[in-house]
Amino acid sequence: MMRRRAWITFCLAALCFGFLPALIRSEYFLNLFLMFFLYVTVAQSWNLLGGFTGQISLGHSAFFGTGALITRLIWTAGVPIVPALIAGSLSSVVLALLVGVPCLRMRSAYFPIGTLALAMIAQITVANLFPLPGSLSRGYLTGYSMLSRYYLALLVAMLTVAVVYWIVRSRTGLALVGIRDDEAAAEAMGVRTFKHKVFALMVSSWLVGLGGGIFAYHQVSYYYSAPFELSWSFLPTLTTFIGGLGTIAGPILGAACFLGLSEIFAISLGEVHLVVFAFTFILVVLFVPGGLMSISTKIRSLTARIARRATRV
Amino acid sequence: MGQTLVYGVLNGALYGIIALGIALVFGVMRYLNLAQGSLIILGAYGILFLFHLGVDPFASMPLIAFLLFLLGGALFWASFSRLIALSEAGRIKNSLLISFGLMLLIDNLATLLWTGDERSITPAYSGLTFGIAGLRFPLIGCVGVLSALVIIVALHLFLARTYFGKSIMAVSQDHEAASLMGVNVNLTCLVSFAISVGLASIPSALIGLKSFSPTVGIQWFNKGVIVVMLSGIGNINGVFPAGLFLGIMEAISVYFFGAPYREVTGLVVFVLVMVLFPKGLFKRQEL
Repeated sequence: MMRRRAWITFCLAALCFGFLPALIRSEYFLNLFLMFFLYVTVAQSWNLLGGFTGQISLGHSAFFGTGALITRLIWTAGVPIVPALIAGSLSSVVLALLVGVPCLRMRSAYFPIGTLALAMIAQITVANLFPLPGSLSRGYLTGYSMLSRYYLALLVAMLTVAVVYWIVRSRTGLALVGIRDDEAAAEAMGVRTFKHKVFALMVSSWLVGLGGGIFAYHQVSYYYSAPFELSWSFLPTLTTFIGGLGTIAGPILGAACFLGLSEIFAISLGEVHLVVFAFTFILVVLFVPGGLMSISTKIRSLTARIARRATRV
Repeated sequence: MGQTLVYGVLNGALYGIIALGIALVFGVMRYLNLAQGSLIILGAYGILFLFHLGVDPFASMPLIAFLLFLLGGALFWASFSRLIALSEAGRIKNSLLISFGLMLLIDNLATLLWTGDERSITPAYSGLTFGIAGLRFPLIGCVGVLSALVIIVALHLFLARTYFGKSIMAVSQDHEAASLMGVNVNLTCLVSFAISVGLASIPSALIGLKSFSPTVGIQWFNKGVIVVMLSGIGNINGVFPAGLFLGIMEAISVYFFGAPYREVTGLVVFVLVMVLFPKGLFKRQEL
């Protein structure tokens, strides 16, 4: 039942977003939706590691940036975008194996700080190695089409949601949630916790690397260190917590809210949306650990209770 | 090389004093205050404001320290106090998340209020140096080392000799046992949190005299947390040597790899120490 409903929602969303460009021609809205898909990809991949496995990573900007960097370099060297994207995302996985896995060896409470240090190392190193912005050459600019970017971003976002959903519903997903809730107990039940954490990190970095590739494919000109900026680590943490940690719909909801707020404030007040989001984040951590998703279920149970009371009277 | 080492020691003292605030909170409550760097920058803006009114940065330091102390108390009362009942891992994780939000909040508010421009406090004596044995010593850096030493000795005496300091040490060892001995754990935590935020005023002045912008807080926090991890958790006496160690390591790396990779060295040392020596370098054997 649950699975069928998820399927229907998934297909409906694919249809809606798939036909959207036929209705809306405005570049602005296509751009907006592309950013939405990108945020969903980043937040959902973070959610697999942070929300379902309980390993809060502040280092996703390193994996996102690596995906962007490698994809961009291979693509601008003349390779078609899809192989470049795959190579870029796999390079994120390699980075995660090389440097992320030692972080998982730390006591889990220090994982955020360790990954934050990695993200900073990556950002500074890339800014030193590639001091100039990378722009697309004329050949790439004449062939630039918004639609292909839109559909590729949509595809990657759908893939991310599907992969995370599939993992979470599987036996492995149960093990991951077990690690989050009580690592020692999971270990005692025979779950190989370290192996599962590495698996979650690998999948998460692969998906976020795909997101980085979309960034590289979409942006015309940017500093190579831009996708390494720490805000790409902070964004998924904020949106996932506010939307609902450890739920599939949470990061999507959070990303939509974040994008909506930033667009509203972009016209008048600049960075106010970050202030609003940071404040909401603190409130969520303190008072509503389930985020917006739990609020909606709370409201539903409240209305159900009121309705029951009304029928009884 | 000698000159590089001088700068290493001067920077190291600054790292030590930044780390002191983080180490105090971490040692007593197992809270990781990611916002400490942002609070330092906030203090630097306060000192800059007073400097424009004609107050010397070192003279305004006590006032800023008091204001930060109050702010720290208020922050603890409003948010961090809710975490005391959690387990140790829960406290680290949740305090990290809350202070992460706080850091973003402070940084973005500072950007809104004072723009993202790089600022710097420039009193008449800011560029002065004096020479001993052929080496140049910048005046402000030396004052920094001196104030760091004074504060560390003062904090040590406070923790070891006064009644309240002893209760802080007791809470850092065991919350329940301390509360059974009649220590007011909540009040102790509140005051030590406020002290640690107040301690941010010294790096505020020293960083303010270099240069700062709303977003550099996290970099200074990183220096501090590296030092805390190097010295070993809960080991406040090891903070100053660990700070000097980091400063000298960075100076040596600048000598060999060039200035752009200075930050990277510290972070790499940090990750290596976290993975290889999870208990820290300067930690005495626990009883």
